[in-house]
Amino acid sequence: MTPLRESFALPCLFLTVALLGGLRLGVPGVDVRLVPPPLVSLVLAVLLLGSLVRSRVFAPDRLVANHRPPLENVSGCVVLLTLFAASAQTFNLLTPDSGLLHVLVSVFFLVQLLTTLTAVRERAGMLRSLAVLMGCAFFLRFVALESLYDPGRGVLKRVITALMEGVTLGALDYAPTGSATGYVAFLALTLYLIGLLLLPSGVTRARNVSLVRIGEPPEPDELDRDLAALRRQ
Amino acid sequence: MRDSVVRVSGLVGTLLYAAAIVWMYSAQPQTVAEVTGGLTSTIGVYRIDQQAFDDGLGFFKRDRFDEARAAFARADPAGRDSLTQFYIAYSYYRQGWGRLYNDDALFKQGLEAADRAIAVAPEHRLVVDDVDLGMRTADELRAELQRGLTRDASDFNPLRLLRKRR
Repeated sequence: MTPLRESFALPCLFLTVALLGGLRLGVPGVDVRLVPPPLVSLVLAVLLLGSLVRSRVFAPDRLVANHRPPLENVSGCVVLLTLFAASAQTFNLLTPDSGLLHVLVSVFFLVQLLTTLTAVRERAGMLRSLAVLMGCAFFLRFVALESLYDPGRGVLKRVITALMEGVTLGALDYAPTGSATGYVAFLALTLYLIGLLLLPSGVTRARNVSLVRIGEPPEPDELDRDLAALRRQ
Repeated sequence: MRDSVVRVSGLVGTLLYAAAIVWMYSAQPQTVAEVTGGLTSTIGVYRIDQQAFDDGLGFFKRDRFDEARAAFARADPAGRDSLTQFYIAYSYYRQGWGRLYNDDALFKQGLEAADRAIAVAPEHRLVVDDVDLGMRTADELRAELQRGLTRDASDFNPLRLLRKRR
């Protein structure tokens, strides 16, 4: 990974996501509101980072390691910290701010991430899974819920929301975030996924391990795979 | 060597960006003007609209407080200038002051503006050199507004009728 990507591009991308993740525009009464991440977002971010490491979406040892000089390690730590902040703010963005929906979506994320943590081991699969998970959550919050709870909604939508609130004894309440917030959320999610793609992955490194492993000859199919990968590079 | 320069400048840039984000989340600006005003005042380049401020001061001296506040708000949209906030607080005080009773709603808004003036003043100390004012420090003004909002036995003192607006 180039120093420019590690020192500028990734921290800048992730910090922008951290900023946009809590930004709510066009909220009734105020123009701008900045929502700090709740505790559950931090927990989800830790789980997500664990999943990313296990599936080799990024390799922490390529950011912080003994063989790297101190300045490079500091730079790597900054990338890790900004990635954590961006992950927490991404969950903050996708989860409704309060009420029963906040709890339900948080539990949904928790279960989904635990499943991913234990099951997904492949980089491409993990990235696809994450894109689908976040895409669905984005659609649920910024398309479905925003449309359903829009202040200028029609009679049918009012009846549906009134019924839903009645059935749940008023617990299923949702405060619309304003129309502009959806566009900001879309930008933040796109930047976050681009940032994940730019992270130093553990895939190439794992392939090379078989070539330098001492005292243990690689399997023939492993060698073929490595040679094919080298030819492609 | 070139790598080190890139990394150090990246770290500095990242720290500045992160500090700006932390400031925004802690200050909770509610308008775009407050966001830009807060950031520019942090690096010392925030400037008020002097023409609007002078207009506001003119209205203030003629006891046209609503017009004065409109002009002051235009002069300092981010609420980062202590002097302008002081005059806004003073306009609420003078408009809300009454010989028999004060207007609590206006006094509360005045108190908020006085708090803002104190918060953004250098070392939280503000002295205004204006001979037309009965109170020339933000602390005096804040205490007067606070007293106006407090209910106690002195409110029933008949000598209150003789007091003067400051």
